[in-house]
Amino acid sequence: MFEALLEKIFNHIADWGKFWFGFIFLGSIFNAIFEQSSFFYGISNISFWAFALGGLIGLIAKIRGAWL
Amino acid sequence: MNELTEISPELSFDKEKAMAKSFSKRFQWEMILIGVGQATIWLSLWPLVLNSYLSLWVGFFIASLCACFAYLPSHEAQHGNYSRGNPKRRWLDAFVGHFTLITLMYPYQILRVTHMKHHAYTNDPVKDPDYLNAHSKSLLKVIKNASDGSSTAYEKYLDVFENDKAFINTFKKAIPVAMLYRSLLLVLVVIFPLETFLLWWLPAKIGTVYTTVFFSYFPHRGASIGRYKDTSFWSHWMPRYINHSMQLHVIHHLHPNIGHYDEPKAIEALKPFLIAREVPGADQIPDRVTYNPLIKF
Repeated sequence: MFEALLEKIFNHIADWGKFWFGFIFLGSIFNAIFEQSSFFYGISNISFWAFALGGLIGLIAKIRGAWL
Repeated sequence: MNELTEISPELSFDKEKAMAKSFSKRFQWEMILIGVGQATIWLSLWPLVLNSYLSLWVGFFIASLCACFAYLPSHEAQHGNYSRGNPKRRWLDAFVGHFTLITLMYPYQILRVTHMKHHAYTNDPVKDPDYLNAHSKSLLKVIKNASDGSSTAYEKYLDVFENDKAFINTFKKAIPVAMLYRSLLLVLVVIFPLETFLLWWLPAKIGTVYTTVFFSYFPHRGASIGRYKDTSFWSHWMPRYINHSMQLHVIHHLHPNIGHYDEPKAIEALKPFLIAREVPGADQIPDRVTYNPLIKF
């Protein structure tokens, strides 16, 4: 039972790792940059767009099979 | 003429081995100092930056330097060059091997087993885990592969060496360490986004590119298969200190137990053997290896 669950998690990470990495890692960094930049001041839901951008880059990397 | 056929009694393989062994005894304290030192400095950057004692950009610069110094101490550990076969000192190999790689975010055991395969199958398109690094079409391609993680995607070698139980077991045991690094990175980035990016992720990328270019690409570029053919001497505009003396990498492939800081002296002594075996570039080795990085007090 526990092993099956672990295997499912590992498989999911293997399949969707790039997406989650883009969403969480890149999203957090974009969010921090957007919040500190005056250029994005006034845009509502800036965190949403930051994480969406990160997730999108991750999704593209998943589909392409490579980051660069 | 190459490989292990005898050339002359003075230049026999046994004599080469004996001479190499004389450079394989010294305790590699410099490498331990560099490995433990850089990782300690890197760890100390976090409280210093987070408490504003150090600017993030200065921290980034120092972290990048640390990352460039991170691999080689682990590499010596991978070859058991700290314990030198003494079971009581094996912990030193494991400790330095693991600790120094924190900066690069790599599990020591995965690098160790894949590096052993690299030595066993250097330049083999299927079995050499570093083949992609050394045989990419251009330096730019190598940098791209190292940056996006293609050159260190070692999971595929689980299939290549599926019959090697020791390889598979060691590799699989190290996967949780890789997961731990990844999880830690993802937790830290949520709490300290820019610090995680500039103190860890980006410096680790810079360190990986640096290591791949100077340790894998230049020494094996254009080289073929065979003990005396798989690595070349090469020259570069930068002093050996800056590229970790990787122009001398060929001596490491022939005799991996020679300590890194003893390689220049070993090359000077072994030069006649290397020329006789037609090692690529050996005829251009100077009698005295300059920019000698040996540290003497």
